[in-house]
Amino acid sequence: MAVTDMPEFIRADGPDKVTGTGRYTADMTLTGQLVAKFKYAEVTHAIITKLDVEAARAIPGVFAVLTAADVPDIRFTYGIADRTLFATDRVRFEGEIVAAVAAISDDVAQQALDAIVFEYDELPPIVDLEAAIADGAALVHPDVDSYVVTGDTPHSGNVATHSSIAMGNAEEAMSNAATVVTSRYVADASHATPIEPRAVVAQWEGERVTVYTSTQVPFDARNLVCEALELPANRVRIIAPHLGGGFGGKCGGHFEPHIAALARAAKRPVKLVFSRWEEFIAPDRRREGMIIDITTGVDADGKIVARTGNILLDNGAYLADSAFFPQAAAMHVAGPYVIPNVFIDSRLVYTNHQPSGSVRAPTAPQGCWAVESHTDEIAAAIGMDPLDFRRKNIVTTGSVGAVGQTYDEIGLDQCLELAAESAGWGNDLPDDEALGISVGWWPSFHSPAGAYAKMHGDGSIQVITGASECGTGSVMTLRMLAADELGVDQTDIELVYQDTGAAPAGPGSSGSMTLFNHGRAVERAARQIADQIKELAATELEANAADIVLADGKASVAGTPTVSVPIVELAGSSPDGEILGSATTEDIEWPEIKGSTCLGDQGFSSWMAPQFSCHVVRVKVDKDTGVSRVLEVHAAHDSGTIINPIAAHGQIEGGVTMGIGQALTEGTQYDDAGRQRNAGLLEYKLQTIADAPKITTQFVEIYTPNAGPRGAKGLAEAPNVATCGAVNNAISAAIGKRIYQLPMTAERVWAAMNDISLEEA
Amino acid sequence: MTLTIATSLDDILAGLAQGARPIAGGTDLVVGSRQGKGSLPDTLIAIDRVAELNTIDVGADATRIGSGVTHARLMTDTTVVEQFTSIADASALVGSPATRNVGTLGGNVMNGSPAMDTGAPLVVLGAKAELASTSGTRTIGLDELWTGPGQTSANEDELCVALVIPNRPTASGSAYVRLEYRRAMEIAIVGAAASVEFDGDAIGAVNVALTAVAPTILEVTGLNGIVGSALDDATLAQVAEIASEQAAPISDLRASDKYRRHTIGVMARRAVDAAARRAAGEQIAVPVNRALGVGAVQ
Amino acid sequence: MSTPSNRTLNAVELQVNGVAYPVAIETSRNLSGVLRDEVGLTGTKEGCDDCECGACMVLLDGQPINSCSYLAVQAQGREITTIEGLADGDDLHPLQRNILAMGGVQCGFCTPGMLMSATALLERNPTPTEDEIKIGLSGNLCRCTGYAKILDSVAATAVEIS
Repeated sequence: MAVTDMPEFIRADGPDKVTGTGRYTADMTLTGQLVAKFKYAEVTHAIITKLDVEAARAIPGVFAVLTAADVPDIRFTYGIADRTLFATDRVRFEGEIVAAVAAISDDVAQQALDAIVFEYDELPPIVDLEAAIADGAALVHPDVDSYVVTGDTPHSGNVATHSSIAMGNAEEAMSNAATVVTSRYVADASHATPIEPRAVVAQWEGERVTVYTSTQVPFDARNLVCEALELPANRVRIIAPHLGGGFGGKCGGHFEPHIAALARAAKRPVKLVFSRWEEFIAPDRRREGMIIDITTGVDADGKIVARTGNILLDNGAYLADSAFFPQAAAMHVAGPYVIPNVFIDSRLVYTNHQPSGSVRAPTAPQGCWAVESHTDEIAAAIGMDPLDFRRKNIVTTGSVGAVGQTYDEIGLDQCLELAAESAGWGNDLPDDEALGISVGWWPSFHSPAGAYAKMHGDGSIQVITGASECGTGSVMTLRMLAADELGVDQTDIELVYQDTGAAPAGPGSSGSMTLFNHGRAVERAARQIADQIKELAATELEANAADIVLADGKASVAGTPTVSVPIVELAGSSPDGEILGSATTEDIEWPEIKGSTCLGDQGFSSWMAPQFSCHVVRVKVDKDTGVSRVLEVHAAHDSGTIINPIAAHGQIEGGVTMGIGQALTEGTQYDDAGRQRNAGLLEYKLQTIADAPKITTQFVEIYTPNAGPRGAKGLAEAPNVATCGAVNNAISAAIGKRIYQLPMTAERVWAAMNDISLEEA
Repeated sequence: MTLTIATSLDDILAGLAQGARPIAGGTDLVVGSRQGKGSLPDTLIAIDRVAELNTIDVGADATRIGSGVTHARLMTDTTVVEQFTSIADASALVGSPATRNVGTLGGNVMNGSPAMDTGAPLVVLGAKAELASTSGTRTIGLDELWTGPGQTSANEDELCVALVIPNRPTASGSAYVRLEYRRAMEIAIVGAAASVEFDGDAIGAVNVALTAVAPTILEVTGLNGIVGSALDDATLAQVAEIASEQAAPISDLRASDKYRRHTIGVMARRAVDAAARRAAGEQIAVPVNRALGVGAVQ
Repeated sequence: MSTPSNRTLNAVELQVNGVAYPVAIETSRNLSGVLRDEVGLTGTKEGCDDCECGACMVLLDGQPINSCSYLAVQAQGREITTIEGLADGDDLHPLQRNILAMGGVQCGFCTPGMLMSATALLERNPTPTEDEIKIGLSGNLCRCTGYAKILDSVAATAVEIS
């Protein structure tokens, strides 16, 4: 569908963003503000022997220099509290913060960093996943057993968390299978790479601090400041100005406590703005590297009868928000297939790499890439067309999936047909081109989220939400929901968001939850106002409140639209002078699972309102060089009801393009010590507009009960899941060889084509 | 630190004699200083407004391209596109429209990077560099100019004022092809330029130079064997083999030496092919990479 | 290393969006920093510091440049146009209007640079092909949109204004 044929989408933040008047965090300037800079370890594994900041403190123009000695001695992080604000006795990755300075200028701050005496004894870096879990391996956290553990987080040595899915008897079923296929896939780490490098500005007023920051989840950032600096929640206010993209990389809190602590010590506002290099190396959000071993057995009819899997995920040095990753990865390796016998073991492994954390559908692009490549290998092994093989094995309405979850009405089968049809599956193509297919899935998450709605005496309306707008348009969509409840135009509503001082708590822009959770809260809060207006209208119009209809800015009696009163007037007649609504999300029931057990259950044992997708890509390979290019992507998605089509298409196009980058060019390269070698945008290559393929998007709109507003499911992460797998299947079909490492760089494609082994770090 | 905006070549040369360093678009210099590759010089002289450096003069025997001519102009200038097409190919691949807009031929050449895009075309076209200082002007070959990665033999007080390129015989063509992982915003992983002259149906002369496979731009030798042959698959395969053999690539984060050695042969073959087709009168739009979908496939 | 006391400041007048701004700046300051911190126009963004993202794109005498890697003192005597200079008073430029209406804006961080490149492109080529639009905007990275709606909106604007 052409964008001009879609319903208008009015972005409340649009004029700000196209005229340059919108303020992002780095655009903030507070009177007297100082420049913050961090001293990074730059070594990946070492014991600190000396840290002396006195010379730095003595430099004129330096207002504060902080180390671990200057902040509360607190370890934090859900799952395993393994993290401190500053390095204490040792450093575990190159971007670990050793000290922070606040000074009057960039130059002086740099002088202060240069004056810090930081000495250490290097330890052998722990960067190999298999070596790290071997008996007797040195530990990234020798004291891990003394850390506080929360949730269902089985851990041991360098295994930070461990999860497994078991259903039926995989071993026995495998031994009876007609055909068994085994594959090993290795995915390199990659990055969220928002175009806005993160920034933080903190200012104290008495005992209260306001932190402006580029976080996707202001309430998590607030909680981190509170926890790390031992402050009560009522003295910390987080405001996120416009957010220049996040893609998960800006989930949670990061550097807010450091800057708040600097501002307190310096008694001046302090501002941190990251360089692109820092944006690559310092955050604890990186898409994790993975090693995935999968074995699948199929019967003589081509039905999958058993699957076993062994997954290692590179957690890096600290846990960040990655406790659930092993379970999410296990679900992806199981895949959206009917498999009666499953055993998948999945471990998150500490290393001296940058910590892994949420990046758009964590574990999914890699997991899906592996399992969908493997799926094509199975189809090839039994001589079945990849599309037919999926037709035979995917989950459909009423089927029982790999963890024993019975699916309600779902549209994966329709996605498969629509994408294949759109791409012309089966048509002849030139020798250097081929189609590849992949299916993907991703859950929706229930989370408590609050919303306030307020109709002022003049009839103007505010919706106050804890949601965050990282660009997707999902917060912008919230006022459409409120407008419909209230029978007003969406432009009559102003949004207040990204301010913990004003809004009720919520998951912000994380986990595709904005519309799914905040949307339900906004709808309910707006409905509360609507009910009150109906009461006022009922009195005014001498009718029953139940018969009042709100539309076009008027309250009228059902069936007699001429008997009406403008909503504006009713607002003024409220005895309180304004009308208030306050609501949270209602609980959603998790789907029941049968016949399956999950070790290390972090809430992924079954998938609520799962979103499904099928991507078919057309790829052209330069067979002399291995350079591959995606020419077309045909995407079909079941994300339930689509409320804002323009924004929804934008999510697919953006997610697919990010997926192509991950498929072909985006991979972090490390040196032997575990330092990033390509921490810049020349060597870490995002797709440009010149690379952008034609993307055709179709939605299978199924009203999903027990889901988001109007039967909607999540959408922002789902498009990032299936693309890499489809690209591999297309490349492999074009060259007759398979690629087992992600990203599938030109060199790796060339090596596969020519059976050349690359000695890679 | 100071910056003077020069309005004449004399201004520049006087400034250089006093220790100033030249800056044109600043893309290499400013980015380099921010990446810690070296701090900005203490005294800068801006050379981008000096008209004398921005001329393209076609003489009887040679064409003189001012060092201040931007990539944006090189890729569209009629003389360059028609006569020295490989330079236009190369300039069209540099960075983005913005970097092509301020980046200059002189800046590219004097940066001395083995990955410079205009270097290989200039070599196959037989260009010489004209260096000027307050004490005079000299013209030297590019093999004499580039002494190592990021190094030139120019004296501190010398400015490269122009590249002088012999005018082209009839039935000749040139092309520059590079390996690209993306279709834009790339840097040369490997690249090859070729110049081909036909003598009737046979190859009369052929020159090939390679980008990013040696400490400086590498001119391929030993191609005499294909002079007199027809331009067919066997000839092209020979070009690829010779180029791969002579390359001395390194392994780095962009590619392994093995892959570079293979792909440089592919690029050399494609450059010779495109140059020959141009020599035969075929119109292949600038840049070859996009017109033929080589490197990053269409 | 410079300290506050030994900085040499240049008195420079920058012509930005038709207004002359006198600023006192060190030679090493880049144009994007001066526009943002001295002139007070923060619509020009900084995303990479090395000409790789295009968020800092401004027009210098009508031509696009990466202002992060251009010395501000070199811009003396030239006309600088930033995103703040694109609209005609309260009337959005057709590119601004179309990119918004067609969903080409998500996080908005690349948008100013993208619009400046698009403006320069349509100035020099009012009827670009799809490939010409792609090359014209190839120096501006966008992580949100996958570029589809940006491409559509520039194409639509070309049709509208030609």
